[in-house]
Amino acid sequence: MVNPVLLIAVPLGLAFALPLFGFISKRIEKFIPVLGMSFNLVISLLLIPKAMENPIIVSIGGGKPPFYINLVAGPVGILFSLIIAVVGLLVSIYSLSYIKKGATEKYHMLYLFLLVGATGVVLTGDIFNLFVFWEILCISSYALVAYTGEKSGVESAMKYLIQGAIGSSLLLIGIGMLYGLFGTLNMADIAQNIDSVSSISIFVPLVFIITGLGVEAAVFPLNAWLPDAHSAAPSSISAILSGLAIEVGVYAIARVVFTIFGAESFFLFLCFLGLLTLLIGEMSAFSQNNLKRMLAYSSIGQIGLIVFALGIATSYGVAGGLFQIISHSLSKALLFLSVGYIIYRTSSMDISSFEGIGKKMPITSLAFTIGAFSLIGFPPFVGFPSKFLIVQAALAKGEILFVVFIAFILIGTVIEAAYFFRVVQAIYFKKEKNNSEKKEAPIAAIIPMFILALLIIGIGVYPKLVTDILDSAASEFLKRADFIRGILG
Amino acid sequence: MKILISIILLCVIALGTGLVLEMIPFGEPKTKIGEYYIDNGVEKTGAVNIVTAVVLDYRGFDTLGEITVLFIAAVGLGSVLFSSKKSDKDKKQEPASLILSTGCRFLFPLILLLGAYIFVHGHLSPGGGFQGGAVIASAFVLVYLGCPGIRVNKTGTKIVESLGGLIFITMGLLGLLFGGYFLLNFLPKGIAHTLLSAGIIPIIYVAIGFKVGSELAGIIDNLIGRP
Amino acid sequence: MIDFLSHYIYYIGAFGLIFIGIFIILVKHNLIKVIIGISILDTGVNLFLISVGYISDGTAPIFSSPDMKAENMVDPVPQALVLTAIVIGVAVLALALSLAIKLYKHYGTLNLRKIKEMKW
Repeated sequence: MVNPVLLIAVPLGLAFALPLFGFISKRIEKFIPVLGMSFNLVISLLLIPKAMENPIIVSIGGGKPPFYINLVAGPVGILFSLIIAVVGLLVSIYSLSYIKKGATEKYHMLYLFLLVGATGVVLTGDIFNLFVFWEILCISSYALVAYTGEKSGVESAMKYLIQGAIGSSLLLIGIGMLYGLFGTLNMADIAQNIDSVSSISIFVPLVFIITGLGVEAAVFPLNAWLPDAHSAAPSSISAILSGLAIEVGVYAIARVVFTIFGAESFFLFLCFLGLLTLLIGEMSAFSQNNLKRMLAYSSIGQIGLIVFALGIATSYGVAGGLFQIISHSLSKALLFLSVGYIIYRTSSMDISSFEGIGKKMPITSLAFTIGAFSLIGFPPFVGFPSKFLIVQAALAKGEILFVVFIAFILIGTVIEAAYFFRVVQAIYFKKEKNNSEKKEAPIAAIIPMFILALLIIGIGVYPKLVTDILDSAASEFLKRADFIRGILG
Repeated sequence: MKILISIILLCVIALGTGLVLEMIPFGEPKTKIGEYYIDNGVEKTGAVNIVTAVVLDYRGFDTLGEITVLFIAAVGLGSVLFSSKKSDKDKKQEPASLILSTGCRFLFPLILLLGAYIFVHGHLSPGGGFQGGAVIASAFVLVYLGCPGIRVNKTGTKIVESLGGLIFITMGLLGLLFGGYFLLNFLPKGIAHTLLSAGIIPIIYVAIGFKVGSELAGIIDNLIGRP
Repeated sequence: MIDFLSHYIYYIGAFGLIFIGIFIILVKHNLIKVIIGISILDTGVNLFLISVGYISDGTAPIFSSPDMKAENMVDPVPQALVLTAIVIGVAVLALALSLAIKLYKHYGTLNLRKIKEMKW
């Protein structure tokens, strides 16, 4: 049986050794992230059968938890590291030809560090270790947003950094309070003793931690940085940030609320928060003319939907939320990758400059259309079973309040369809302004878009591929006592 | 109106924080893992400095994350301040005063020696890799201020940084190979209070010391202005 | 009153620094002052973490002579946590300063009210 530590240690070692590879030959530097992420993909696939029966617990340093740090590679952890490996691998193939200017060696190092940080957050079982890997994820994304060096990039990175720094400090205050109350830093140990203190003194650290994590996870009042940062970053980094980083943030919030605190009364508040985020995100996206900004607001909306689904807190609800995470990562990555080359060829981000591009770049436009339809939720694509599962879960709850919530979700979906159709209409059905020749995106960009489209259609037509692992993951979140017993014995 | 809302919010947060702090009295022992570390630290890890034992043996994974964060900061800084064209005019720096330029030549090796002493003795007295590395970087800052025109070799710093990180990960993987756990302390513990004791801890601290020193010197170099 | 103050002076000081840091970040316009505010916020949080681990009449957890007793030593774990937190704070500060240099090259000013090219 393979040790899950290799999922973190080997890509980290490759990232440290990247300058040394650069001394041998400058041309192999861009293949190192591809190598690292393929290794992660293979190891995650190998670990799936074992992780679905019992979570794999490995200790770092050879002792028993809670005195040593431990990694928990259960169904949730392996599912997330699989998503990170797949999307990371495909975007690194895309970056082979997309990133040409600037300090390219540093781009590849930062890219690999971002993915290592994300994998570390989902696999760890200790709350201070979560903070350290969270910082790795955040700081590499601050540096990558400013990569192009233009005015908009540097300004958005500065605003992102200031808000992220406040968030991290609030998270650390919450962790300090938890250590003072319980005397230990292990997640299972804190979860076991959570009832021994009064509920008001549990509420304050919970608020600090959720606010700190919420800045990166882009829930409603704390997401002012997202439209600027995701639209000013290079398109491969926008795909990674929208597709992986904010989902890992939602995972961290779910882990804290479900496993550590087990706060039953908090779930309804999560539903309200999710719904508010969804409506504000979709309505703001509708009024945008800049395509990448529109996609960024759409990400905010989808995160609202995911948080709402996790707040339903039944087995169908949590499984629906996790399925929506898979669907959003794949679709949003496909959208940003195709938009990257369209913007590069037309040199403008306005929707009006995309008219008629369907004839000049047919494969890229088809990829954009598949991504858009999947995000809205049309049948043969992966967005349909995930949204259907969420609606089904909300109906099964049986209260009249949730029927009102479903109405709001459907309104959000209609608004989504409206603004995406506007773009698809401009691409295919309008005449182009200036006649230039047909020039498609290079082959290194077409391969990842093709594979992503294949995955979207494949999982959409045959959702049985993922429902087993989603059910085990949902029961890991909901059955706290089994989780605690598995780690502490 | 906005001021009123923020004052009310502040009072609510202060009240809540005060209630929690009531539960964490100042000066009472409230830890259960801390006592375990103090009681069993010396014989389990061989290091006399319990904080070093916690940082590198019990919670070594956090230290791995920490050196990664510092590396990301150095690389990110290099990528943000990257400019492909050479600086057209070399910025003229004012020559330093006589005391500074004589003193910096004299003090530079002494400060390096102090920094090396701090990180080599990390497991015996207060100190360690990060503290020693910061002292070494301050020696380089003294040279930048006192003797203008002397700069650190860029290729050298790159090699030292990469090797430092690689040594840490290799030690962890060797622990996985020999003992079945990542970052297991597999070298013999030796006699406490001597220099060659505590297994892999001195080796890792020496690597971290060099790495942090060259990284901070490189950051200062980038901020001063040479691309 | 003095008794109450002497018991909680570290906590009040730490949260006072945190409050001052957040106030500077939200209110001031000069970019360098905002970065200094981030640094003060980090210092306040580190002070809070260290003061959680204090045990009355304790000394540093280092067995410097072979006959030191283990009874009156302070908690070593918050010291290890703060070691990591200080380094992370330095990393964020370095990145923030480099972004400030680049912003000054583009805009020619460090006033946050004028650096507003990104509109709604």
